[in-house]
Order: sequence, then C-alpha cells, then structure tokens
Amino acid sequence: METRSFLTLEDVGREDIREILDLARAFAEGRVRDALEGKTVCLAFFEASTRTAVSFELAASRSGAHVISLSEKGSAIAKGESLIDTVVTLDRLGADAIVLRHQASGAAALASRHTSAPVINAGDGCGQHPTQALLDLYALCEALGGLEGLQGRRAAIVGDVLHSRVARSVIPAFLQAGMEVALVAPRTLLPPDGGAFDLPVLSSVDEALEWSADVLYMLRLQKERMTGARIPSVAEYARFYSVSRRHLESGALVMHPGPVNRGVEISGDVVLDASSLIPDQVASGVCVRSAVLALSTGAAQSIAA
Amino acid sequence: MVGDSYSRELVIRHPHVFDPATGLDGIMDVRLSSGRIAEVGEGLRGPRELDADGLHLFPGFVDIHAHWRTPGREDEEDIQSGSAAAAAGGFTGVVMMPNTDPIVDRPVVVSGLVSRVERESRVRARVSAALHVGLAGERLTEMRLLKQAGAFCVSDDGLGTASAGVLRNGMLYARSAQLPVILHCEDHTLATGVVHDGVAASLAGLPGSPASAEDAATATALILAAETGAKVHITHVSTALSAALVGFLRGRADVTADTTPHHLTLTEDLVSTLEGLYRVNPPLRPEHDRAGLELAVRDGVLDFVATDHAPHASEEKELPIEEAAPGFLGHETAFAALYTDLVLGSRLSLKRLVEAMSCAPGRWVGTGGSLAVGAPADLTLVDLSEEWTVGRGTLVSRSSNSPFLGRTLKGRVVGTIVGGEPVHDRTGAKFGARA
Repeated sequence: METRSFLTLEDVGREDIREILDLARAFAEGRVRDALEGKTVCLAFFEASTRTAVSFELAASRSGAHVISLSEKGSAIAKGESLIDTVVTLDRLGADAIVLRHQASGAAALASRHTSAPVINAGDGCGQHPTQALLDLYALCEALGGLEGLQGRRAAIVGDVLHSRVARSVIPAFLQAGMEVALVAPRTLLPPDGGAFDLPVLSSVDEALEWSADVLYMLRLQKERMTGARIPSVAEYARFYSVSRRHLESGALVMHPGPVNRGVEISGDVVLDASSLIPDQVASGVCVRSAVLALSTGAAQSIAA
Repeated sequence: MVGDSYSRELVIRHPHVFDPATGLDGIMDVRLSSGRIAEVGEGLRGPRELDADGLHLFPGFVDIHAHWRTPGREDEEDIQSGSAAAAAGGFTGVVMMPNTDPIVDRPVVVSGLVSRVERESRVRARVSAALHVGLAGERLTEMRLLKQAGAFCVSDDGLGTASAGVLRNGMLYARSAQLPVILHCEDHTLATGVVHDGVAASLAGLPGSPASAEDAATATALILAAETGAKVHITHVSTALSAALVGFLRGRADVTADTTPHHLTLTEDLVSTLEGLYRVNPPLRPEHDRAGLELAVRDGVLDFVATDHAPHASEEKELPIEEAAPGFLGHETAFAALYTDLVLGSRLSLKRLVEAMSCAPGRWVGTGGSLAVGAPADLTLVDLSEEWTVGRGTLVSRSSNSPFLGRTLKGRVVGTIVGGEPVHDRTGAKFGARA
C-alpha cells in the first residue's frame, strides 16, 4: 500500500485538494466508515494544542484506528529526547502514521526523512499547518457551493502573517481554489514586501471590504506581540485590523483558525454570528483529517478498490 | 490663523522675483488673490499694492526642524513666539518636533497641538509625533491614530536612534501608517561627550563625542531605510562622511537629508571659548566637515537646510559648556548667515540657497516652495543689501541663544506672507493688517 507524508500545501495541486475534500465529505456523510481499521496512528505533539490534537484523535479513532497520544508531559519528549529519536522510536514500534506538532519550522519534513511511516504535519513553527487550510477550504466549500463556488472569490488574510503557519498554508490553498488573496497587516507583521506571496497589501479591514473581500480570514495575534515592538497597542490594532459588527453588512464571511482573542482580532459579538464560519471550521476538522489520514496511510486506496 | 481663504488681493510691485522651482528671475509684479498666486507679470495694478522696489521675492522658506517648546516650556518659546520668529526669518512653513513635556506621543496630545496651531501660529506649522512612546526607543507609538489626529510625520528627535532592530520595526510601521520618519542619527554608545571629540575638546579637556556616533547611526538608518522602503528624512547631518553616506545610498532608499545653517557656517573652534552658548547637538565639527557639508549642499547630496531652532532659557545656557543645554536658535538668522557666509563668499549660489531653503523642503512637506501661478501665496521678501547686527533686541524669539549674537550679517527678511496674508512686515509700507 502506497503511503505518503503530508507536510505542506505549497506543492498540493487543485486536483489533490479536490480528492481530499471529496473523501472528507464521504467521511462526513458516513459513506466511508472504519477506513483506518487496524492502523495505529501516533500523535506526537511537541507543542501544546487543544483543537488540533482532539480533532486528529477523533478523526483517527472514529475511523477505526488505534490512537496513541504523546504529549510534552509524561513522555520521552519531556525527558529531552530529540525529535528524530522520538519519531524513529514511534516508527519502529509500528506506527502507521505519525501526526506531528512541533515548535520549529521544517520539523515535519525532517521527521519524515527518518521514518517509513508517513508523517502528517499538524503544525510546524511558523512554517505550515496544511490540515488547517484544508478544513478551512472544506468549510468554505460548504458555505459557497463547492470548490467551483470559490472560483474568483476574494479572501483577505488579516493579521500576523509573518508568524503564521496557518497563513503559509491557507494562502496556497486559497490560490489553488482559484481565489484572489490579499494580505491585511502592518508591515511589521508581514514578510518583506509581502514576501514570496507577491500579493496585494491592504491597510485595514475597511480597505479589505472596499477591495470587495468575500472572506475575512482573521489570524491570531499572539499575546507577546500585542504591545511594543511590532504593534503599538491593542487599541490601534483593533481599530484597523479587527472585525466588528459594522463590517458584516457587506456580507463577508468571517473565519479564524482559533483560538480567538475576542476584542483583538474579532469583536466578541461577531465570533458566533451567522456570518462567522468559525464553528464550521472546527466541525470540518474531523472529516478532513480522517481523509488526510486515509490518503497518507494508503487506506484510501482500499476504499476506492 | 493660517488660511488659504484670505480674500484680499495684493499686488507686489517690482520685486526681483527669484524662484528656482519655476525659473522666474527678474523684476516683475505678482498678484495674490484668495490666498494664492494669481498672476505674475508686468504692469499689474490693484487696489492694494506693495512697492517692493529693491527687494527680492522668494518662495517662502520651509523649516522642517523646529522646537517651539510647547507644551511644557512656554517660558522658552510658545506657538506665538515661535511662529513669529519663523515669520521674521522668512519661514512660511515649519515642522514642530515632539520632544516636549508631555511628549507628543499620544493622539490626544497631537490633536490638541494641531488645534492650537490653527489658532495661534502665524505660519503653517505641522506637528511631528514621536516614533516611540516617550522617545524611549522601545514601544511604537500609535502612528495610525496619531496620523488621524493630525500628525504630519514621526520622529524621536532630541534623543538618538534606537537599536537597529527597533528602528527597523519603527520604519516598517511608519510605512504602513504612511508617515515620513525624521531621524536624528546618533548612537548613544558612542555619543558620550558634550562636544565634538576633536582638537578643541582635547585642548579644553572636555568629554568628546566622536563623529562615528553620527556616522554609524546614519549608515544604519540609511541601510534600514533602503530595506524597509520607509520614507526617511535624516536631519541635521553634521559630518562630511554622513553626507557622503546619504549620497551613496540615496538611489536605493526613499531618503532625503538636511544640514543646519550653523553646521554650514561655524566650527568646533568656538568650543575653545568654553561658553555654554556654543553647546549644540550634533556638535560643531572641524572645518573639513563644515566644508564637506557645504559641498554636499552645493551638489544636492544634502537636499535642504533646516534650522533645528532650539530655544533655551538663559539659565540653561549661561553655564560652563559641560553643564549647558545643547541647542541654538535658528529661524531668524538662517537666511542671513548662509547668504553672508556662503553666497557672498562665492561658495554657494543664491539659486541653490533658495532651493535648499524653499523649494526642496517645500516639496518635502507638500506645500509651498514655488511661485507658480495657482500655488499657495507663501512668500518671503528679502532685502539683500541690508546689513544688521544680531542682538537680543533684534530677536523675536522668546529666547536669545543664537550663536550669531553680535555678528553683523547681510541680507534681511523684510516681509513674510502666508496664504496671501502678511505675517511679518518690516517693509514700512504697512501692506498687512499685522506686523
């Protein structure tokens, strides 16, 4: 059975995305069950996580996999074992897939070079968070009528692009889906000149709506970045880069990978508004991650067969 | 107080109109109407006329570096006295620096100052807010809110430049806020003295600040300006090397630079007097630096002149040089000092001087600097033949810490007009409502 690691969205094409989203829908609708029966999925989280860890655990267990969770606490990770030694150990113990969350960019790729089991990147530093971007696409497709419904839509990615692994996965995902993407952030939170993305840079949520954004994708501002070096104050940040109720009149959809800083990226009364896809994003995580696990482990081939 | 709606018409008759921006150069008449230049030609007449025979008419001078000490030290200067001093020096536009008490680092301070300027200033005064909270080089100010409150630019002037990493973020954020950054380039790990670290300092036993304190900070600032794309203006360049660095990196960055009348005309020799009056920051430099600055202004490597008008109470200047506050008055003597020493000394053309005092800084602030028809009627009338001696009695500023006290200079501003309205009038013709 052919296996493949799932590390980044940078090189994933439109048809690959369609395949994953279709399979995810099959999982969601119950057309596929127990696809991972007999598989062992190891969750190796070197960095704290709530929703991603729970989501992967449910995605694996509901599909019939045996799940082993390693967290920072109570495992060799806490004892200072190296990344490579940990994943090699899991590999030799017979894992069929290793889901890795790590604080350093490139960790998943490094791990994958030392294992025979596929490695699924559950977030590496400021690098990539590919399953997040896929669940975002899934939720958007549900809202806008499938992948075709995304064609030509405009998404504004708002906030700390510079330090965001979510942005680095969401941007290529949205572009593959045929969307137009703009970045909305002060230049202290952007790669130089928008970086390799070569996207328009806008200076406020208001400007994003003038640009006719259909989607406002809000990034989390880390607490330690809220005052001082890159952002003068939460007040100024919120004034220009926060979504509030008045922005919803445009009909734009609001997304956020969570966890939300209410009153910073999004005013509190918007988080659970009808315009907000945030709960749908979370809900989409399980079926999308089941699909990714099935494709990575090769289990999807037997479904097709 | 400054408005473009001043409706009364005025014809200035027979001045020598001299404007490098439009190329106007000759005796002609100028009609001002509704705050703008309405017509330039010959034989213009009107109900209100000013006989300007024998006077030169320039685009109004613009000084992007002034300390009007307001709020906080109104005993040294306030908006009325500062703007009167500016008008007396022929300046129609000024940028006020934020190192006041309180520091201009919050939107409410900016908006308060902007509304006071509208009421109290004779000239177009723009407010620079701080780049960092408390000028401390740590936390960014709320630049976008400051801009909405009316800030024209940001600067930590008075204190030197922050560490390179902090300055880089400041430039990036200022670019996002679309605010120009004025930089006083000084590395505090090097600038530990009170005067230039040169011959005069060593003879007098004074702690010196080396030229490298400015040069290293200038190089850093220029490199960061090039990398970040921020609009950066380097103020009071005082060394030949810093000027050369500006020239070297000019093509790669959105950068401009100025030097001061005192750095173009005075040298560290004055330090040997040990008088507190002559302490200034950046310090007066050796003759080779002064000569380098002169060359840089002549060649346009330094875009313009700014005075760093810095009033101080006498108790802050009549002290041993080590204990005196640094800073000179600048507005009222700028043109005459430069005209006397450089133009009459055949070292700088009058054209280049007017470019450096009017056209280039006018372009930088976006108003003035040209006598084109339709431009705001911001004008300066100068009698190039008048000799005058700088004395406490001649100064309009509330302070008197001019390094040119006692000097006899040639060329004197006799009239200043802002938005068509006379704000300074020594013509004797009583062409304005206010003198």
